[in-house]
Amino acid sequence: MTVTATDPGLHPAELELEREGSALRRLARDPAKVWGYVGIPLIVIVSWIALYIWVTGLELDLIEARILTGEMIREAFVQHIRLSLIATVFIVAIAVPLGMLLTRPYAKPVTPIFIGLANIGQAIPSIGVIFFLALPFLLGIGAQTAIVAIIIYCILPVLRNTMVGIDQVDSALIESARGMGMTKAAVLLQIELPLAVPVVLAGVRTALILAVGTMTLATFINAGGLGDIINQGIVQNRDSILITGAVLTAGLALLIDWLASIAEEIFRPKGL
Amino acid sequence: MTMDRRWWRAAGLLATTALVLAACGDDDGDGDTTDSEDGGAADVAGLEGADFVVGSKDFTEQLIVGEIARIALENAGANVTVENLAGTDVVRAALEGGDVDMYWEYTGTGWLNILVQDTPIPGAQEQYDAVAEMDLEENGIRWLDPGSFNNTYAVAAHQSKIDELGLSTLSDLQGLLADNPDEATFCVAAEFTGRPDGLPGMEAHYDIEFPSDNLVTLDEGLIYSVVAEAEDCTLGEVFATDGRIASLDLVVLEDDQQFFPVYNLAMTMREETYEEYPELADLFNPINAALDDETMSDLNARVDEGGEFEDEVAEDFLRSNGFID
Repeated sequence: MTVTATDPGLHPAELELEREGSALRRLARDPAKVWGYVGIPLIVIVSWIALYIWVTGLELDLIEARILTGEMIREAFVQHIRLSLIATVFIVAIAVPLGMLLTRPYAKPVTPIFIGLANIGQAIPSIGVIFFLALPFLLGIGAQTAIVAIIIYCILPVLRNTMVGIDQVDSALIESARGMGMTKAAVLLQIELPLAVPVVLAGVRTALILAVGTMTLATFINAGGLGDIINQGIVQNRDSILITGAVLTAGLALLIDWLASIAEEIFRPKGL
Repeated sequence: MTMDRRWWRAAGLLATTALVLAACGDDDGDGDTTDSEDGGAADVAGLEGADFVVGSKDFTEQLIVGEIARIALENAGANVTVENLAGTDVVRAALEGGDVDMYWEYTGTGWLNILVQDTPIPGAQEQYDAVAEMDLEENGIRWLDPGSFNNTYAVAAHQSKIDELGLSTLSDLQGLLADNPDEATFCVAAEFTGRPDGLPGMEAHYDIEFPSDNLVTLDEGLIYSVVAEAEDCTLGEVFATDGRIASLDLVVLEDDQQFFPVYNLAMTMREETYEEYPELADLFNPINAALDDETMSDLNARVDEGGEFEDEVAEDFLRSNGFID
């Protein structure tokens, strides 16, 4: 336990926090937690290395050799990340403010409508949504359509979690904040939202995994991504290609979820 | 106490519902709306009571001929299940492995894809003879008589683009790629880009190369409408007997250097199946003979544009040609 020079001006609670130290130091004290953080990326990297060794050891026929190239895989991988992250940014940008608004009393009459829409967005099979949006008189084919389809599909978890996260903030805290003279907006932004962060981030993590997994459908409308590899594996009936695409996609989903859990740790307000 | 009992009841109800739904589910998932009556044109008494699994690939034409096979077999008294599978390799593997008893294959596909030969044989009959002989010898797969329609890969463009760019043959593509590369965009499906009788072979034969930016990879079914829009791509990989070519005002570029092989339809099955039921030849050969380019395109169009179901048009075809009552 680090002992800091006692600053008489510090409030006892603040002292406690200083003694606890940074998040990293907190972490280092708990080996189980360390494994929880290092385990996932380790598993993913190991599985990717195993995949690489296996594929390079295979004798690839003409079709496999044309598709399982470093260039094609890299391009698909990067495009997949790009599409998934853009979609997620939009999802968060739309769902979090919307979720905040919908928890306000004046939004009560319209809340069911938005929840209903978000529900429908996730309930409709994503492959139907993506082909429907790809119709010429709608969005047409290409990356923009894949992104919009995924936004529609994944907005529910983030919206719902934002609302639940804000709703579950102890009303006593809100009352005392109002009692101290904070405006409604200040209460929302400085009390409710920070305390809702863990729940909101849990929703974002869910949306991210859904997005990465479903973005594989982008291949059908020329938007690229790891779906290109998986689909080639299916139509050409080559297991090597199919397994490569699948392992890469699953690993990517796990890695992105892991990054999000790190973000969650960083953004969690101290004292929780 | 009451809470516990309610919980268990709710859980029990949920579990029961799930089990009932699973048990009542339709196994192959396609709603067969037609029944075939007894008595038919062909004398196929030996098929009565036999069980067959008919395979098909995942596009309209294959679905239609799969239904034609099913109805014809049922009409002869057999019990039939249809398995709709993803593509050539999958359904062929199923045939060889025993999961499927027969499926309609194309002579060109058999020669280049399945038997992995390098060059197609010119001439429809010669191509068929070569495939049938080699496949029987090497893999024990019997090919029944070939039909006359030629469902080859083709490159099509919308009439407006044809007029605008003055395209008429595949040889014109060389000039197009050189002078007007921005217009030389090509809508393709995944299978076409990988197959030796597809894009790679075509590029080699015509001495052209499409830059990867010019290739628009889509689901096979989307290609027709996207090419008809003439915006995202000028050219499109199509199947020659697809009904949408005519109905969407698409024009097929002539394969003037004869790259694309002949793809005539023929029923394929393991030799053991043929030896046990030689009547299958008597059943399918006349039916296949009645399927010419125009008939097949028309059946395809009725499904793809007209919105009819595959089994409806299949039954209609068989009935109006006197194969079933």
